[in-house]
Amino acid sequence: MRKPTLFAIALLFLAASSGLAQKVENEPGYFSIQDLDLFPRDKLSVEVNLEGALLRMVVEASRDDPEFSSVIAGLRAIHVQVFPLAGADTGSIRSKIGRAVRLLEDRGWHSTVKVREGGEETYIYLKEADGKIAGLTLLSLEPGDEAVAINIVGRIDPAQIGRLGRHFDIPQLEKVPAGKKPE
Amino acid sequence: MSRSDHDLRCEEALEILEPYLDGELSASKVPGLRRHLERCAACAAELELAGKIQRELRSLPQPDCPPEVLERVRRAGGGEVVPFAPRRFATSVRIAAAAAVLAVAVGGGVLFFHVQRASDRPSPEEVAQATRQARLAFAYIGKVTRRAGLDVRDDVLVKRLVTPATESVSRSLGGRRSEKEL
Repeated sequence: MRKPTLFAIALLFLAASSGLAQKVENEPGYFSIQDLDLFPRDKLSVEVNLEGALLRMVVEASRDDPEFSSVIAGLRAIHVQVFPLAGADTGSIRSKIGRAVRLLEDRGWHSTVKVREGGEETYIYLKEADGKIAGLTLLSLEPGDEAVAINIVGRIDPAQIGRLGRHFDIPQLEKVPAGKKPE
Repeated sequence: MSRSDHDLRCEEALEILEPYLDGELSASKVPGLRRHLERCAACAAELELAGKIQRELRSLPQPDCPPEVLERVRRAGGGEVVPFAPRRFATSVRIAAAAAVLAVAVGGGVLFFHVQRASDRPSPEEVAQATRQARLAFAYIGKVTRRAGLDVRDDVLVKRLVTPATESVSRSLGGRRSEKEL
């Protein structure tokens, strides 16, 4: 058997095994907040990295909340990093966030919220693909409190996400910490 | 100048390697291929490998056709039964082997993917924790947008509504005062 034949078979194997599982990194709405190195990983107060099978299981586990479940069903990944700013070098974080904002704009993300007031900064960017929203990235810095970076990948309805945001309460949910680094 | 047999390139040589092995290569091309094989170690190695595979395939047991089947065929055809030529058998076995390898490759890939997915299945505790984390993500979005929304609203109220209204009232009060003063 010729080498090209062997090569073609190897390619077919790879295509069959990897093609079925398209990586979330290749999704248009993906923006790697981990790779940006915005915050020191060992000092994060919350880190969430949900994707793949775990996210699909969340859909099943939250059938009692149809709106939440339907939002999650459209998502490919949720990444959150929260960094407490008390005693931290806010200037360095601010410049890193500024760099991330420029990167987002370079990559064709559209700004929907941009607030800079009294040292506070909040940016919300959306990424469109085929006329639909395919990703949301939020970057926020509140001196004396915390800095937040969020990237949500998948089919997104901002109104629905806004409703969920108002619905959930952080103090209650912050009892999560035992598992703040699941993956 | 027309190309002579000396000019045979590797890809051309590889193209006619199997017909050569099967004895199907036209006699006019054989000397050129042989000369190329003498000069090219890679193609010679390819020939050796292909020959080895062919020999191994030919060494596979070839079950004899049962006599009663041969007899039935002979009766139906009314003539002589000519057995398959070993060379043809080897070619068909090669095609079948290639098809089988292809099926194994594609099937193996799909199976590999499914097995991998099954092994990644999270425990109920992990799912419960992930659900809380997903809710926490949305809670943070809510917290940040509420804060930004308040800022925007304050900004709008102060700059677009409160300030113009105050100025307007001041102007009208000032105007009246002026009128009174006049």
